[in-house]
Amino acid sequence: MKLKLTWLLTLFMAFMMQFSFAQEKTVSGTVTAASDGMPLPGVNVIVKGTARGTQTDFDGNYSITVNQGDVLIFSFVSMKTVEVTVGASSSINVSMQEDAAVLDEVVVTGYRTATKVKSNVSSVRVTSETIENRPNASFVQTLQGQVPGLSITTTSGQPGGNSTVQLRGVASINGNTEPLFIIDGAPVDQDNFRSLNPQDIASIDVLKDAGATSIYGNRGANGVIVIKTRTGSFNQGLKVNYNGFVSFSTLPTNDYDFMNSQELLTYERTRGGGAGAGVSSGVFNPGNGSPLTDAQIAAAPNFDWLDYFFRTGVSQNHTVSLTSGSENATQFTSFGFSDTDGILINSNLKRFNIRSNVTGKSNNEKFTYGTNLTLNYSKSDEPNNIGGNGINRNYVIGATLSVPYITADDYTNGAALLSPLSFTNTPLFLVDLQKTFTRFEEEVRLVGSVNANYEITDWLSANVVMGADYQNEILTRAEAPDSFNALLFGGGANPTSGFQDQDTNRIFTYNQVTSLNFDKTWGKHNLQVGAYTEYFKAHFRTFGFFARGLDPKTFSPGDGSGFIGDNSANDFFIDTAQANILNAGLFSYFGRASYDFDEKYGLEGTIRRDATSRFAGSNRWATFYSVSARWNISNEDFMEGSGFDVLKLRASYGTAGNQDITGGGLFGGLDLTEDFFATGAGYANANSISLAQIGNRGLKWETIATGNIGIDFEVLNRRLRGTVDVYQRETTDLFQSTPLSAVTGITQQDANTGLLYNRGVDFQLNYDLVRATSEGGLNVSLGVVGNYNETELDEIPNTEGEIIGLGRNGGKLFEYYTLRYAGVNPANGELLFLTADGNLTESPDANGDRVWLDKNIFPDWNGGFNLDVDYKGFFLTTQWNYVIGVDRFDGDYADALDADDLGQFTATNDILRAWQQPGDVTDVPSWTATNRNSFGNGTRFLTSADFLRLRFASLGYSFPSKFLENTGLTNARVFFNAENLITFSEWRGFDPENRSNGQRIYPTPKTLSVGFELGF
Amino acid sequence: MKKISKIIFIALLTIVMGCNDAIDIRQPGRLDAINAFQSVDDLELGLLGLYNQWDLTPEISLASNFCDEISIGFDSGGQGLALYGFVQTPATASGADFWVRNFRVNNRASILIEAAANIDPDASELAQYNQILAEAYFIRAYANLEMLTYFSTDPRNDSALAVPVIESVPALTIQPDRSTTGELWDYINSDIAEAQGLMNSQSGVTRLSVDAINAFRARAANLRGDYSTAASLAQQLLTAYPIANQVNYQLMFLDASNSEIIFKLERTLNDFYDGQVNTGSVGTGGGWAGSIYAFVSATLAGSPYFEMDRKLYNMLDATPGDVRYDVNVAPTSVINPDYATDPDPVNTDIIVIQKYQGSEGQPLMNDLKVFRSSEMLFILAEARAAQNDLPGAAALIKQLRDARTGSAQPLPVYGSQAEAFGDILDEKRIEFCFEGHRFRDLKRLGVAANRGIDRDVTDCTQQGDACTLPASDYRFTLPIPIVEINANPGIASQQNPGY
Repeated sequence: MKLKLTWLLTLFMAFMMQFSFAQEKTVSGTVTAASDGMPLPGVNVIVKGTARGTQTDFDGNYSITVNQGDVLIFSFVSMKTVEVTVGASSSINVSMQEDAAVLDEVVVTGYRTATKVKSNVSSVRVTSETIENRPNASFVQTLQGQVPGLSITTTSGQPGGNSTVQLRGVASINGNTEPLFIIDGAPVDQDNFRSLNPQDIASIDVLKDAGATSIYGNRGANGVIVIKTRTGSFNQGLKVNYNGFVSFSTLPTNDYDFMNSQELLTYERTRGGGAGAGVSSGVFNPGNGSPLTDAQIAAAPNFDWLDYFFRTGVSQNHTVSLTSGSENATQFTSFGFSDTDGILINSNLKRFNIRSNVTGKSNNEKFTYGTNLTLNYSKSDEPNNIGGNGINRNYVIGATLSVPYITADDYTNGAALLSPLSFTNTPLFLVDLQKTFTRFEEEVRLVGSVNANYEITDWLSANVVMGADYQNEILTRAEAPDSFNALLFGGGANPTSGFQDQDTNRIFTYNQVTSLNFDKTWGKHNLQVGAYTEYFKAHFRTFGFFARGLDPKTFSPGDGSGFIGDNSANDFFIDTAQANILNAGLFSYFGRASYDFDEKYGLEGTIRRDATSRFAGSNRWATFYSVSARWNISNEDFMEGSGFDVLKLRASYGTAGNQDITGGGLFGGLDLTEDFFATGAGYANANSISLAQIGNRGLKWETIATGNIGIDFEVLNRRLRGTVDVYQRETTDLFQSTPLSAVTGITQQDANTGLLYNRGVDFQLNYDLVRATSEGGLNVSLGVVGNYNETELDEIPNTEGEIIGLGRNGGKLFEYYTLRYAGVNPANGELLFLTADGNLTESPDANGDRVWLDKNIFPDWNGGFNLDVDYKGFFLTTQWNYVIGVDRFDGDYADALDADDLGQFTATNDILRAWQQPGDVTDVPSWTATNRNSFGNGTRFLTSADFLRLRFASLGYSFPSKFLENTGLTNARVFFNAENLITFSEWRGFDPENRSNGQRIYPTPKTLSVGFELGF
Repeated sequence: MKKISKIIFIALLTIVMGCNDAIDIRQPGRLDAINAFQSVDDLELGLLGLYNQWDLTPEISLASNFCDEISIGFDSGGQGLALYGFVQTPATASGADFWVRNFRVNNRASILIEAAANIDPDASELAQYNQILAEAYFIRAYANLEMLTYFSTDPRNDSALAVPVIESVPALTIQPDRSTTGELWDYINSDIAEAQGLMNSQSGVTRLSVDAINAFRARAANLRGDYSTAASLAQQLLTAYPIANQVNYQLMFLDASNSEIIFKLERTLNDFYDGQVNTGSVGTGGGWAGSIYAFVSATLAGSPYFEMDRKLYNMLDATPGDVRYDVNVAPTSVINPDYATDPDPVNTDIIVIQKYQGSEGQPLMNDLKVFRSSEMLFILAEARAAQNDLPGAAALIKQLRDARTGSAQPLPVYGSQAEAFGDILDEKRIEFCFEGHRFRDLKRLGVAANRGIDRDVTDCTQQGDACTLPASDYRFTLPIPIVEINANPGIASQQNPGY
């Protein structure tokens, strides 16, 4: 198996020929594997100190012209490099040994790496093979279902949109709940990856338990995700790789059963409202008073507004990378371009990336260094107000709720829509918005890091890692002066209304970790000790203007030619300027000690002191620690012949702090400890002084203590591999709203109070169902990933032990609390509810009859399973995701079933099931039920959003190298990918996965793509 | 040697990056409490900040939406349906707003008054200093009177529960019980007495003045049932601020005349309130007054989500030449004389409210009239009737009708006190529609006048038959909101009846 894998890998490697004058002789020979004597194809053979080299062929043979006395270097993935000095013989045969250090996967365990056998912690690695060639503009989306306990939800289909990343539940109420992301040593903004090219990523390590994350102290409380980008290897010829794909994204379907024009007009006529009854003020059949005839209804146009506002998004993505290495330096360079169309109109992401990663070392190998630099530019067209209820602002309302008898051809211009101003014309307002409103964000992002390591002695080294992340984002919004919205709100008094708004946000962060590391082995003992300091500083600058009044003759979005200046006659054209500066910082020092005995027992401890600028006025410093241990049971003598290839028991306990207590990121809630006043516009827009904040001088770190016990095992000759972890995360000093009597002038203040538990199990199992016995044979492997997590609240800060919207002591986080809907009264069509005692009523106490439902929006179970098959160059990967235990309010269905917007919006055919006469037994209340607006809907639209989804499928073919001979290619691959292809769910809306109770939002798309990869 | 230099280099790096630079950070632009008020001029700026907290739109919104001033419009997007259906619970937004907003004003006023105590004005600044304090005391009294009006079950019963009296800036841990109505009256009266003693100017109508104090006292005395005080103050103000003629009355609502305005809150372009009110949570206001009724403008094309109650329209339409018809009914309205029998009155009978047409070129934005002299006329008339001077009350009502219609109207004849009260309330429903008076008028006088919420059946049958509600209903006293009970559980046992 190993050989076949490495054989594939060597296909990616090529060599570079250079010209030279020398007296030459030809040396040839065969390279074989020491373990089985089989020939090794694709071994790099290089003349030391030059860039000359060759590779072995299929039979392990090579031939190279050299000078006597030259040293040949034979290198091969996962083998120990061999050096042979050329003597008189013209035949050199080499037998290569497996490199045990390489065989044992190296994992990141928190500021250090260890072989898997020596790792005490719970962590999972995702490799580039999983990440590359996926049509997700943000790589975070790709991680979904790959790592037990890692939950990724994306609430917007905007290309590159932010995903919510949660590891092992939700451990904070108001604070940050997302893991720390570190790219090549530089901590980066966890909410913004749209500018980064996923193709550059080599590996992602997800660190889960306190043993691994505690040492990240101030930001590691929710786990740490360590990303490494690709680098070259020493003594490697130039390899050029191209990959590209084109993808097609479409809107997922919904089961709302919206009416067509004929159904809708008939319904309107029946109810005596809207165009069907001749009483509409919209553009179709406006108020002539007489209902439409059957023939008129039959002749009404049917326009598909879903198809108008949503589209097939066509995207392309290209990456070219160059990798090479000499004796003392390596480089990886990549260029990327992608253009991703969102499925919603006016949504798009264009991105351009350059990355350069360089590593180097001194001749004596005591000094090593690396730099990682990436320069990215992206332009994102992003519709805003998505999710809002503005019928003139949110395209999604236009797509789902527009009446189908109005067509896009009914649009002439914005002015024509002003009178009569009718909700029924909603789609036309939005067509106007599409044509007249501009909104885009341009971002320049630079992420760079430098690391340097010097071995002072063979057991002591000094290390520094400096990382910087710079983002410059310019938002431009413009509303054209002749747009419907400008005319509507400007009115006759201000015919040159409209505005342009530009805001520049700059964020610069700098992080430096300096350390001294001790590592010594004597006999069977190994001891490692590290001492570290970490410095972090973040700076935010924003400025912008809001210019009112645009001259349509010269207006162009982003340009100022059309600005109209203020005048003495009125205040319509007063422009406003804004600017803000925020700074934040962290400082820590920490230490680590780990001990290993004979790869059987391991013990590690970390301790860390952290300070944050956020708590300058209160509890600035805090201490966090962890201890972890392992027992490699399978390495014990008594386990000989037990059948276990690997059996390891791990345990850890530790604490970590969360100082992002408002969840606002680097710059949220920076000085909540202070009282202060503000100056600004007051009564009648005059300058004034007013109270701005009443501070809480007692604020301190939120602390998360995590206990974890895990087992790693490999049995049946490593055919079955698995990991199981059980954990508890206990968050104390939760930062949450504490209610205050309104007589204090405020109604709540955020303070450290309460307890939150997350408890659960992570598991991962992989099984090689069929293993090929020869090259190109059939491989079939199966994998399952899962997490069960439950949350429990305690010590809620009031006497009832419950806060509506948050939950109750002993209950789930954000447990729903509302009236229980109990159907329709067959006698009169009214809505029925349950009282708190469980009795049916039409007039519940809107307050007192609400109950806790033991349901929330977070999953109990989530994970995935996958099947990988490869045979003779063909490969198939399928990855399924599942989520169980999510309940959401289906507001979009509630909109579609609203009997009160008759004639304004379309409806679902379900509304025709409404109660009509006594005795009707139905699930839809009477259109005119008197209590339909009195108590809200309670649980009526609360629906399970559990799902099973084919998140990803890939089918491809790798051309065997014999086809590539004489083509100049070393590697060629084609593939077809599908994202979100099939979904099974009770949820009737577009996307069950959306972790939100919002409605009218931008669903994530279904995407099909085709691509290829070429190596030169 | 080489090794040592490396170690020194790394050690230096650590020190250079020293920790205090990262953790001692002060954000720019913050004004500490201690530096906020250092001079009389600072206090003046603080007063403008306090004024900015003062808003009438929640009261206007509640009175319109809950009582009988509006109907659900043809262009409704679902706004205010629950409040129109008389849904009023401790969890509803309007009740919470009245409690939280007024205590906030009380708190901000106390902060300013306490800050002023630390400033020693020069002789040249003394007049300004006193004026600032007077206005701060007044605004605090106004907020407390608003709470007394809405949260006391009976403002005329000194032992009824009102809201806690909070005379200073309290500790954040305070969990007060409700004070009695009598205690709250004492607090209000002492503040207003302070204001009276310090007030030294009679400036323009958009800043508080001696006359505004008198108008406040008249309204307060009327509420408390002290009709003799109310009558004398009202008479005095009515003399000083005669009822406007028809032309000036119209101009007044365009902010082009102040002829009968004793005090109003200015609303101008780009100020805090220059925007739509919170239409998603009606009854809380916070923007252009006109946007309580329409999204865009006070015209048919301005998306009027609330229209005029048909019964109110009929009252406005009853007397030809009544200028209040012109002020309140938009000319673009669609009037269907057969609305009562029309199958679709929502779309065929559209009465657009235009009391807040807008000003300064901004639709829907108008100054908020806090005290108008016609209110004084009603106070006087109510006092006359209460003192059993029924002809006196009738003469005042005739005086107003004459002025509004521009022609002599018949002198009403009241057979009983209740009849007089009833006519006063009916006339006030027309005169002060959409100005936030209806709710408190019904609460104060509805039972005695034999009046309650009385909507046109054409409007309310469309909306769950919420057509009438007697003035004795418990919902005319707002509930202690959940938001307070969460922080102050002890107050739950003092919840108003019915909730």
